[in-house]
Amino acid sequence: MNESSPRKALTQTIGFIQQLERARSPTEVCGMLLPILSRFGAEHILAGLIPRPDSNRQQQISHIILDHWPADWSRRYFTHGYIARDPAIKSVSLGASPFLWSDLRPLYRDSPAAWRVMEEASDFRLKSGFTIPLATLEGDVAGFSIAGERLEIPPEERGMLTLLATYALGRALLLREADLKTIAKLSPREREALQWAAEGKSEWEIGEIMGISEHGVDKHMRAARMKLGTTSRTHAVAEAIRMGLIN
Amino acid sequence: MIHIVTPENEHLFRDEMEQAYQLRHRVFVEEMKWTDLAKDDGREIDQFDNEHAVHMLYIDEGKVLGYQRMLPSTRPHLLSHVLPQLCEVERPVGSHVWEWTRYCVEPGHRERGRALSPVANALLSGIVEWGLAGGISTIIIEMNPLWLLRLVQLHFRTMPLGLPQKIGDQDVIAVTATFDQRTLARLQEMRGDHEKVLAEPGTTWRRLAG
Repeated sequence: MNESSPRKALTQTIGFIQQLERARSPTEVCGMLLPILSRFGAEHILAGLIPRPDSNRQQQISHIILDHWPADWSRRYFTHGYIARDPAIKSVSLGASPFLWSDLRPLYRDSPAAWRVMEEASDFRLKSGFTIPLATLEGDVAGFSIAGERLEIPPEERGMLTLLATYALGRALLLREADLKTIAKLSPREREALQWAAEGKSEWEIGEIMGISEHGVDKHMRAARMKLGTTSRTHAVAEAIRMGLIN
Repeated sequence: MIHIVTPENEHLFRDEMEQAYQLRHRVFVEEMKWTDLAKDDGREIDQFDNEHAVHMLYIDEGKVLGYQRMLPSTRPHLLSHVLPQLCEVERPVGSHVWEWTRYCVEPGHRERGRALSPVANALLSGIVEWGLAGGISTIIIEMNPLWLLRLVQLHFRTMPLGLPQKIGDQDVIAVTATFDQRTLARLQEMRGDHEKVLAEPGTTWRRLAG
């Protein structure tokens, strides 16, 4: 028996929401989204909170929540401050309904700067895009974009996409919040020990550098492992790197 | 404070219930233009305002600033009798499942672009306190899908019952939202205290919920 299309979309959405519970990082969230989104022609995902207009580049980048976007393009985009001229960002801030980027063309016909952003994006396999504006509990405006060479989004699928975007962003925001709580628990000494461990130093070497005993290092590392919810030194280092705690 | 009004204590809240029906009319008919609910006397009352409904009123110095209504899923409610098309899966039914309807807050007491207003927080906390005390874990909600992200962030575990649909010019989705101690903790953390929002931890509502 063939399931009707809306029923199938709902079943798939519910399956995705259940799967999301197991996602441990924003990267895993993207990994779960991509196979579903590929049938719309989407290869890339970017979601984040819209930064204030006066924010600097670092603040803008820290507002990104889900990042499966061409890295070269992101570098160029944030270096050149494109966010200020991006017509999609502007539409999200104005509280628009979900839109295809091509729908925006009439809005920026007279703005060469906006044209340039959109033209350059298409050089990075972001020719065609779809953006869903969302609002967070804290009152921030968020945007969830998917893009690719050629998107095909039937109007009746937009509801499903809005749900996928909402749950993916919601899960990623909760994960981020949990990370921030974990980060706040680690002491500066524990972080320092982790940083040296990440650089391949032994317990003895870390003790020498930090001017404490090997036993003291062991104590810091054990505390860090516990707070990060990890059992091995390698896993603790990997978690700390993922959270951006050390580099 | 949130006061729970049921047939057993409604004689104590005649004036406040009057205000609640008028608030509902101002918000749903005049502001949101749900014109089929319009009443000549300016009191929005429907077929579900019967002896099975549990009314929750936010009352401050005799003024009703917020309102919501809980309906048992084991009796006729909106999802079963008014908006059945929103539910494309098996309809959730049980003594632990109630439907949340007619949520409204006096305009001057809503969020101004930030977080939840104190009245909104108290109304949500009221549902959770009431539910946790009475063995109710899940609410059915019909709402604009834009609200979904906020519920997820509040640690409600929500599940769509169907895809969003247009009703009039509004997008509406039906979901179930399950809550637990974490939901309550999150709401308390957001408002910065651990006080109960329900006025009387009396036995009236506990008995009704059970």
